[in-house]
Amino acid sequence: MLMLKVKSGDLDKLGLLYERHKKRLFGFFYNLGNNPSVSEDLVQNVFVRMLKYRSSYAGNGSFAAWMFRMARNVNYDYHKKAARNKIAAGTDPEDVHVVTDGFSDKADMEDKAYQIKRAMAQLPDEKRELLVLSKYREMKFKEIGETIGCSEGAAKVRVHRALKELRNIFLQLETV
Amino acid sequence: MDKEQLKIQMMDYLSGSMHEDEMNEFEKVLQDNPALQMEMQALMDTWDRMGNLKTPEPSEAMDATFFDMLSNEMDKQHQKSASKKFPLWLWPFPKAQWVFGLLLLSLGIAVGYFLNSNSEEIPVDNVVVNEETESVRQKLVLTLLEQPSANQRLQGVSEANKFEDADEIVIRALLQTLNQDSNVNVRLAAIESLTNYVDQPVVRQGLVQSIPNQESPILQITLANLMVALQEKASIEPFRQLLQERKLDTTVQKKIKNSIESII
Repeated sequence: MLMLKVKSGDLDKLGLLYERHKKRLFGFFYNLGNNPSVSEDLVQNVFVRMLKYRSSYAGNGSFAAWMFRMARNVNYDYHKKAARNKIAAGTDPEDVHVVTDGFSDKADMEDKAYQIKRAMAQLPDEKRELLVLSKYREMKFKEIGETIGCSEGAAKVRVHRALKELRNIFLQLETV
Repeated sequence: MDKEQLKIQMMDYLSGSMHEDEMNEFEKVLQDNPALQMEMQALMDTWDRMGNLKTPEPSEAMDATFFDMLSNEMDKQHQKSASKKFPLWLWPFPKAQWVFGLLLLSLGIAVGYFLNSNSEEIPVDNVVVNEETESVRQKLVLTLLEQPSANQRLQGVSEANKFEDADEIVIRALLQTLNQDSNVNVRLAAIESLTNYVDQPVVRQGLVQSIPNQESPILQITLANLMVALQEKASIEPFRQLLQERKLDTTVQKKIKNSIESII
């Protein structure tokens, strides 16, 4: 209901939404492989977009799904722009995979977390998003379906496939 | 059971969203099918393994950037709404009359300006916009001060510092925060904010009355310093009451005794 108040011009309610969801959004961007500083910028961008497109909020679905749809777009736009800038700067297009910024921290090479980061980085973007939303952001499958635009059942099947692929990546990394 | 349906059930089992009956039934299916059981176990291991990835906390700078952005947006909105306020009952007049009227008005203003060039200009629009911004900020401060999170209440006090001249409602809210907030940092911030209005008797009185309510040494010392700076004689009695408290920190005791002497 808070977002409907923001939509009707009560902008200070966005402050409450921010307090309620900032950690969840920050975690979403960080778990997708962005470094903490970029993740904070992207959280900011999501709220800027919420203000800009507040009239598009209908209030008939889950707020979290609407917010994460916006967050997915913000992440996609950021990486598209970053990749373009790198190509413009003369980087070989094959080396452009900025998604893994936060996955290259050598300080936790020995950590179990590093293995997960490595494996997650090898997943296609869409599958990584699904696992981040379901495991780390604890979204219900119904909300995931609303976020990515499919039914609840289809969301479960897709998360299942993503998890299976992650399992295979783990096995490959262990045998190397 | 088809494959898709099985995958759906596996995810329900994994995420713990199955009812007990469904779960028992699914576990029987798993027992009867070792290959499926292995696949389920592998998925559960992977799911658990993902739990080893820790997420750091966002920094406080992120909050500051957000609230600056929100505050700017709110200011912009008020400016817009102020400029949109136009008396609708005037619309029945034809446009030509408006244009002519505006021309006459401009002429009048120009003549008035030249005839009275020494008089001071009053920025009426700005006054209206500022009043509206202050009113929205007042709402924001009151809402934030009521939040369960100490971080938000701190944000509320910090918003209160942005008032050019806080009204009675905000001052009352700050005094209530000073007396009743459970968090020492929020109370401390409330004192800091109230020091902007010590020229108002209500604020001085409120600060004096809050002395016996404070149990934190840092708050007691801050209030003692403030009372010395203000040379507030009314604070001597509450400080003497505080000195009789058995639990009072010895450093605070010394500080208060010194403060009383300085005020006398």
